[in-house]
Amino acid sequence: MWKTICLGVGLALIGTVGVADEKEATASDTGVVQADTTDAAKTDAATELQDVDLAAAKKIFSRSCRACHGNKAQGAASYPSLSDKEPTYIVERLERYRSGETIGPNSILMIQHAKKLSDEDIASLAVYVTTAFE
Amino acid sequence: MKFSVERSKPPVVAALLAGTSLLAAPVLAQDGMNTTKLTSEVVLDDLDNPWDMAFLEDGTMLFTEKCSGLSVLMPDGSVNALYGVGEAEGYPESGSDLFCEGQAGMMGVAFDPEFESNRRIYVYATSNMSDPHTNRLMRFTLSEDFSSVSDRTDIVDDVVYKMAASDHPFGGPGAHNGGRVRFGPDGALYLTTGDTHNSEVPQSPTMMGSKVLRIDTDGNAHPDNAPPEGFDKRTYTYGHRNVQGLAFHPETGAAITAEHGPWHSDEITILENGGNAGWDPRPNMAGRGDCPDDYCGYSPNQAEGMNRYERAAFMPMTDFETYPDAMPPIWNNNGWSQGTSSAAFLSGEQWGDWDGAMVVGIMGIGFGGTPIGQRIDVIQFNDEYNDVYDVTEMTLPMDPGRFRSVVSGPDGSLYTSIDEGTIYKLTPGN
Repeated sequence: MWKTICLGVGLALIGTVGVADEKEATASDTGVVQADTTDAAKTDAATELQDVDLAAAKKIFSRSCRACHGNKAQGAASYPSLSDKEPTYIVERLERYRSGETIGPNSILMIQHAKKLSDEDIASLAVYVTTAFE
Repeated sequence: MKFSVERSKPPVVAALLAGTSLLAAPVLAQDGMNTTKLTSEVVLDDLDNPWDMAFLEDGTMLFTEKCSGLSVLMPDGSVNALYGVGEAEGYPESGSDLFCEGQAGMMGVAFDPEFESNRRIYVYATSNMSDPHTNRLMRFTLSEDFSSVSDRTDIVDDVVYKMAASDHPFGGPGAHNGGRVRFGPDGALYLTTGDTHNSEVPQSPTMMGSKVLRIDTDGNAHPDNAPPEGFDKRTYTYGHRNVQGLAFHPETGAAITAEHGPWHSDEITILENGGNAGWDPRPNMAGRGDCPDDYCGYSPNQAEGMNRYERAAFMPMTDFETYPDAMPPIWNNNGWSQGTSSAAFLSGEQWGDWDGAMVVGIMGIGFGGTPIGQRIDVIQFNDEYNDVYDVTEMTLPMDPGRFRSVVSGPDGSLYTSIDEGTIYKLTPGN
């Protein structure tokens, strides 16, 4: 029942080139999410194809994210909303946390969770939390 | 980066996400395996971190939102905003000194037992009127038509507040304020407070964090309080970590706390007048050396998961070695810390075997291998009402959330708020 969905994500580009702010992925009302082929990222050699497995992301979200960020990633208590962010922002933050970087007062919590994530997990989570609860 | 959607493929994602649409359904029922079948109803939704509720017999419900303020839900379903936090919009009056930061903001709320005659209500909130800032318990008069409050009187103005960030998990300003406000069957007003990540606070005789205060409605100490010599006489119990759950046993009247543990050992404790809950996270004592920013509360290993019993041995939630007479917990959540936040007692035959049982709301954390544990537990007491006899997890008729508050309503239902912004009503039966 777990279905893998393909999405092109220029992970290596994030934070290094200007990226469009528009969030056009609407995975919740259709089916497959793919990178926009007109995006500048496609032309860059650093672009790589990532598997975006929303089922896997949902599982990770349920286990590692929702307890603090809320059942719809809407933010709760002192934990920020994720659903209103761009996927690129989520990817960038998770990569920085995964590297052990301290960003805010809850970094210890985030670093622990992020350390376990693969590139694929991060890409999938970034799409999931920003689209699944629209 | 742009994302676009290819529309010709099967709606796999739609199927995957179909379950989430249940979140918005107002009424659900399910056949649980527990003693009692429950239905849930959304009372209010899209709130801003609802923190606490208080009821009148006719169903009128005061509720607080941490960064917004105090409002009242009337029996006809209308909501009146009453008193805002700082610049929050939509309130007829606001406390310009009130603010929210991290875990701090507007928290507990209570009706005076004599409300019908004196119109008084009580609200606990964080204020910048003093420097350093403090948490305050405010008393208001609520107008006859429930549309406004007046006569703000800060009956407690000196509960410590964490001003600056520290090198700890959840280490931002505003940590550990406690926050529950309840009247006991003795007619006294109780307020729970927290340690503010300051290791001196829990055992301090004068700093009013990490305490359960028992006071009158003017803020004066209850005359029967019996803390150790030299303590602030408002102290009913001390040596707590961060108490956000307080309820009174319906048979014995005993005050019972539910408390967040330090990455291990959430606790339920039957309070004893003048008792020490045994939390003392100071460095260079009890076998410990230095700790980050002079607070051992998450030591010895605050950045990694580790065995919870090893943690408890190093930094006990209740330190019986140092304080042999500490009040013993009657429940420690199997050694886990999962964000145990609130407590209430169920009442009425509709609850079956759970009539008279305690419920605790657990918000979930999920750090370092700890199961998240978002749930409501039903705690049944023994025949002497002095220990836990059985614990059952409620089979919830809705998705779980960060159960910040559980309150028994006058209709016999259990009301619970989750940080995500919803107040639910849980009712036994189909």
